[in-house]
Amino acid sequence: MSDASALDGETTERNLVETINQTLVQEMHNNESVRLMGYDIGPIGGVYRTTEELIDEFGGDRVIDTPLSENGIIGTAVGMAMRGERIVPEIQFMGFFYPAFGQFMYSLVKMHERSGGKLDVPLTIRMVCGGGIKASEYHSESTETYLVHTPGVRVVCPSGPREAKGLLASSIRHDDPVVFMEHKKLYRTHREPVPEREYMLPLDEAHIVRTGEDLTLISWGAMVRHAKTAADRVDADVEVLDLRTLSPLDVETVLDSVKKTGRCVVFHEARRTLGLGAELVALINEYAFDRLHAPIQRATGYDVHFPGNQIEEAYLPDANRAQYAIEAVMNYEF
Amino acid sequence: MALWSEQKPVEDFYRVLAPDGSLVNDPPDFDDDELIELYWTMKLTKRFEDKALKLQRAGEVSIISRCRGEEATPLGAAAALNPGDWCFPLYRQRSGLIYWDVPLERQLVGLMGAEPETIDEHLPGEDFDEPAVNFSPIYVPLGSNLPNTVGSALADKLNDRDTVSLTFVGDGSTSEGDFHEALNFAGVFDVPAVFVCQNNQWAISVPSHRQTASETFAQKGDAYGIPNERVDGNDIFAVYEKSKEAVERARSGGGPTFIECVTYRVVEHNTADEPSVYRDEKQREYWLERDPIDRFETYLLDEGVIEEGDIDTMEGSIDDRIQETVKTVRQVPKSSPEQMFENHLHGTSWKERHQRAELQRELNGDNPFVDWTGEGFE
Repeated sequence: MSDASALDGETTERNLVETINQTLVQEMHNNESVRLMGYDIGPIGGVYRTTEELIDEFGGDRVIDTPLSENGIIGTAVGMAMRGERIVPEIQFMGFFYPAFGQFMYSLVKMHERSGGKLDVPLTIRMVCGGGIKASEYHSESTETYLVHTPGVRVVCPSGPREAKGLLASSIRHDDPVVFMEHKKLYRTHREPVPEREYMLPLDEAHIVRTGEDLTLISWGAMVRHAKTAADRVDADVEVLDLRTLSPLDVETVLDSVKKTGRCVVFHEARRTLGLGAELVALINEYAFDRLHAPIQRATGYDVHFPGNQIEEAYLPDANRAQYAIEAVMNYEF
Repeated sequence: MALWSEQKPVEDFYRVLAPDGSLVNDPPDFDDDELIELYWTMKLTKRFEDKALKLQRAGEVSIISRCRGEEATPLGAAAALNPGDWCFPLYRQRSGLIYWDVPLERQLVGLMGAEPETIDEHLPGEDFDEPAVNFSPIYVPLGSNLPNTVGSALADKLNDRDTVSLTFVGDGSTSEGDFHEALNFAGVFDVPAVFVCQNNQWAISVPSHRQTASETFAQKGDAYGIPNERVDGNDIFAVYEKSKEAVERARSGGGPTFIECVTYRVVEHNTADEPSVYRDEKQREYWLERDPIDRFETYLLDEGVIEEGDIDTMEGSIDDRIQETVKTVRQVPKSSPEQMFENHLHGTSWKERHQRAELQRELNGDNPFVDWTGEGFE
């Protein structure tokens, strides 16, 4: 579904926090088995206020404040989902997801397969990711690689409010487990018109943000707006792809674009080594090698622990880093 | 060498049936048929696992962890459930599965490494009765079943269903984080769950005193505000009675219970293990004298519920049943390799389609690396 069709009808200017909140309300009204779980999601409405006032509207049995335990949250949510509930747990910071890796690996991603398809785990983990708000090292991570490496789970990452509404509704209604990454830098930085009506977006399709003939710039999440800025600045006709769903990857759209342009830059906030960029470069190498006019470059975070507040800007990829990479690839000569 | 594996063994627990088969407390209210069913289930479990062990030695079964000498614990606990309840087992609770008629055929073919899709196709639920209690898939990563049990119970509580979720944990896996998280959540949300600690005193080669400095495993329940019991895990009556109390308390809104059943792993951890390397035979002999089947058999004979002759007849028909099972299972074809791709996500993806095609070519003896465009297999 294109953004244009999603804009049909009445729209309201919303930021990402308001959009997430509105979409959760919509889905909880639509289906009584949708329940939220997490810590601080009740009376204070989440540390980012994404669940503000939901406990007043739906009560403590649907907006469940839990003990401070990521593995307990995910493990309990999986058990509820096995029994037909549609659980939306919140993980406050992606950097605090590690304790839940046990339940993620053993139960969440394997239950459907182990039961021979008889048990579904319809669970959408809202996971708050990314840096850029001076929240310090443990609160700023983008570790989607760990998730994307794992079969049995969809990984979704919206780049703005309008997409987030359709992707979150689709995630909650889907029978697969989904990790829904919300970049905290996007929560309040900008507003855009979000349709009031309900709509869904597919959980396996990349979005072509702008078309171009010279180079394909692949990004997702908070990097997409920087990608657009960089594309506007350079002296080249850049096609910008927003992956939207990181797993399963929309390989067709990626390959079609790179075969057309012959050049590619992958642009992501996560660390470089074995970041999703590495997989994209490998795929392009395997299936579009003879269409390339230049090597692919990766404009990414560095292979370091996320740095402290004073120097986080130097770590974070931005339009400048993307622009350098685009220019380098455009100027490459065999 | 100590005869117990605990740091400071507390040798008292709730008991109904003493090791010599005499009653030390009032037994539960079972009629003769029910008593015989419990006895039959333990005997069938033992002989089924003996057969599986032989098949393992012959290379037909990949690996098996037997519950030999521990049959009373999973059986007594599972027998306390009602149809419609949920059970989240590990791999050493076979007597509980057999009690609720989880088909032997499906169990055995699983031990042979068949994919779930093969089992469903060749031993379908409609021909091989689905059990009346809902069993989750068997959990292998120890402790990971516990938080899921809490979630199952919480789902029932929030939907006002009077269903109970029961699960098992070993002495070793009480050391896992999942154990803490599950009992903590169970206490906080006051869910209708029963946690049965099958304390067989050994986690592969590591004895209980390396798992905890607590005097008992049962007392761990106190820290979570969960009522707890400590029972003789080789006494079918004691396990059943305390499990029944716990299940009924959960069903009537009284919240979770933690039950430690003290038993002993008289056999190997699994068929890849060799216990003589790390433990003394004397300890094993001490616990063999407390065997759950022997004492129950003595009781049934003393009470006149069965006679010596009945035992032979029963063993004969158990062995026939097992022979039939092996025969049926040997007719199930091997899982086909492409089944490895099944049931990962709903729907398909480019990568799934592409890798299926690669595998198919490899299986056909063709080079799979022939697609240079990403469209070669479409």
